Amino acid sequence: MKTKLKSAAFAAALMIGTALTGGAANAETVDFWYHFDNPDNPMSDLVAKFESANPGITINAENVPWNSYYDQLYTSIIAGNGPDAALVKLNALPRLIEMEALEPIDAQLGSWDGKADILPNLFDLTAAADGTHYLLPVQYVVLYLYYRTDMFEQAGLTPPTTCEEFRTAAKALTRDTDGDGQPDVYGFGFRGGKGGHDHWATFTLSRDGAGFGPGEMTSAAAVEGTQYVLDLFQKDHAFPPSAPNDGFKEIIGGFKAGTTAMTIHHIGSSKGMVEALGDKVSAVPVPGCGGGHWTSFGDESSAVFSSAKDKDAAWKWISFLSSAGNNAEFNLATGQLPVTLTDSKNWKNHEARFVDATVASLPFAQLLPNVSETADFTNTVWPVSMQRALIGEISATQMNAEIDTLYNK
Amino acid sequence: MPAALPVNRGHLMTQTRALTTPIGRRILPYAMLSPAVVVTLVIVFLPMLQAMWMSLHDYVLFRPKSFDFVGLDNFSKALADPVFWISLRHTVLWIALTVPAQMLLGLITALLLNQQFPWRGLARALVIIPWALPSVVIALMWVWIYDSNFGVLNDFLLRLNLISHSIPWLADPDTALYAIVLTLTWQGFPFFAVMILAGMQAIPSSYYEAAAIDGASSLRQFWHITLPGISGVLLTATLLRVIWVANSIDVIFVMTGGGPGYTTYTLPLYAFIKARTGLDYGYGSALAVCFTILLLGFVILYLRRAGKNIG
Repeated sequence: MKTKLKSAAFAAALMIGTALTGGAANAETVDFWYHFDNPDNPMSDLVAKFESANPGITINAENVPWNSYYDQLYTSIIAGNGPDAALVKLNALPRLIEMEALEPIDAQLGSWDGKADILPNLFDLTAAADGTHYLLPVQYVVLYLYYRTDMFEQAGLTPPTTCEEFRTAAKALTRDTDGDGQPDVYGFGFRGGKGGHDHWATFTLSRDGAGFGPGEMTSAAAVEGTQYVLDLFQKDHAFPPSAPNDGFKEIIGGFKAGTTAMTIHHIGSSKGMVEALGDKVSAVPVPGCGGGHWTSFGDESSAVFSSAKDKDAAWKWISFLSSAGNNAEFNLATGQLPVTLTDSKNWKNHEARFVDATVASLPFAQLLPNVSETADFTNTVWPVSMQRALIGEISATQMNAEIDTLYNK
Repeated sequence: MPAALPVNRGHLMTQTRALTTPIGRRILPYAMLSPAVVVTLVIVFLPMLQAMWMSLHDYVLFRPKSFDFVGLDNFSKALADPVFWISLRHTVLWIALTVPAQMLLGLITALLLNQQFPWRGLARALVIIPWALPSVVIALMWVWIYDSNFGVLNDFLLRLNLISHSIPWLADPDTALYAIVLTLTWQGFPFFAVMILAGMQAIPSSYYEAAAIDGASSLRQFWHITLPGISGVLLTATLLRVIWVANSIDVIFVMTGGGPGYTTYTLPLYAFIKARTGLDYGYGSALAVCFTILLLGFVILYLRRAGKNIG
């Protein structure tokens, strides 16, 4: 009896052990990093759907705060504990390639059924400088101008199409509405903190002759663009006084609260805007300045990392997110626009006026230079030099010279 | 000479006792201390050595394969970097304003809390709240207090007619650093208050009774009894706070990120931004090493004092 019991216990232990080790060997885990501001995070539904369709692959999806997303991504890669796949923007691509952190996906793209369903040009836009593909587009936006329809109507203004009209409107809409002798509504909510380069670029990079090439940032046109921004703040007082430090939260909050009459952002914030303001908010393409038009194309792709434990599993997951249906579900939460033709055709998640403003902005939407310096430009050089210029520590010429030094030293 | 004999004998006895103590008991204190020492070595000293080693190299994180030895180049670059000097000036200002302000407010609070009044226990518990709150929560709370559109500070001052228009406290280069100093003063004063209160309670009440019989006024009692009684606590707490405040970057980072421009950059924040955001770990480490050397004076003072107290 005793021997039988011992044998049974041994067999049971062996079975449990086999089940455990066998399970571990079969189940591949894909660590995926993403960033969602939306509290209605749908990732768990998408993960469940993927895992039931791909038994043997487990997705460990981690929502990393946006503010430190890239700081954490770069350091984790160096530390050897980075994700297997993650959301990546194009301006991070040169650095990640330099780090040899990304896995080319050309071979997988060649045999992927969903490729033909991705919006035209997105693969061209997100390719590396040598034409290799590392990024699979997953969502996109284009920046446009939000404006308060009621305030414009009250002031007898129409949405601006040029920098001149914009300045006139911004000045007229900066008003003291409570009679205390101080303005309490400002014409434009300018983002002087990190991420605000898109605002500045609209007024600067649009001008003929302005750009990031040798001598372009120090050209008269580019300096004129920066000076235009400074004048709006320092002479016209058309931005809230807190503008030098303002970030996403402040510009969106200020616009919703009626502190500003215009600001620049994308369709991702339109739902919240409509919830707060209803029909009193609309959008148009950003104004053209100095003979040109420039707005930011906000890309977001997913990528497989070269350190991924199972690259095939990681590819399966990211291609799942960019496939029709799943991509729509993903973008329902992020509030951005789907990258598949099928989902775009049936897209009903945003009010038509915001989709129209996005589509009308597409012809002149651009990306920042696809070089390593751009990460420094957006993270440190632009925010610090813009803030210093706004508070009068440096001139427009000096600010542009700092940017020129970064790109062309 | 006869007086020397007991000393020698005592010394001999100690030596004999040490030899006769079982080896297990002699090792025990070291064995019990070793986990803490090992953890400290691994998570404090090892990264410190790593930072010192990195500071001698050109090490940019997104070029992980290039790790060129550059000697003291990063340090000479720092000395020629105007932002280093701006940050150092702000660091000195930051410590020189915050620590005395915290101490003064803590002292006043401790004096009040040492009085007899109803609900004193509750007041003593409530005063610790700023100290107990996470720095990020405090920073976000004060960002809203200072907000130029919706902040209560501007509203309050406008209602009292002390200002004629809202002030963007954190966006104005003339006020940003001082606004954060005020925030950190509010956060840190309970530490001083609690330490000083503990010090005050250790002063025998008979001293005050004797002084009162001799006709000493409250001010003289404070000056001649309270202040000397708490001086030890005050010095230790001040040294500790200098080190903590100097290293504190979380509140500044959340409130302004160092801006506008370089207005609220301190040296540790500059090192953090260079390394973490700019990914220049070589230069960032050099800045951190410079700051450590500058702070070392206070650290040595504190360690000597702590060692003396233990001895």
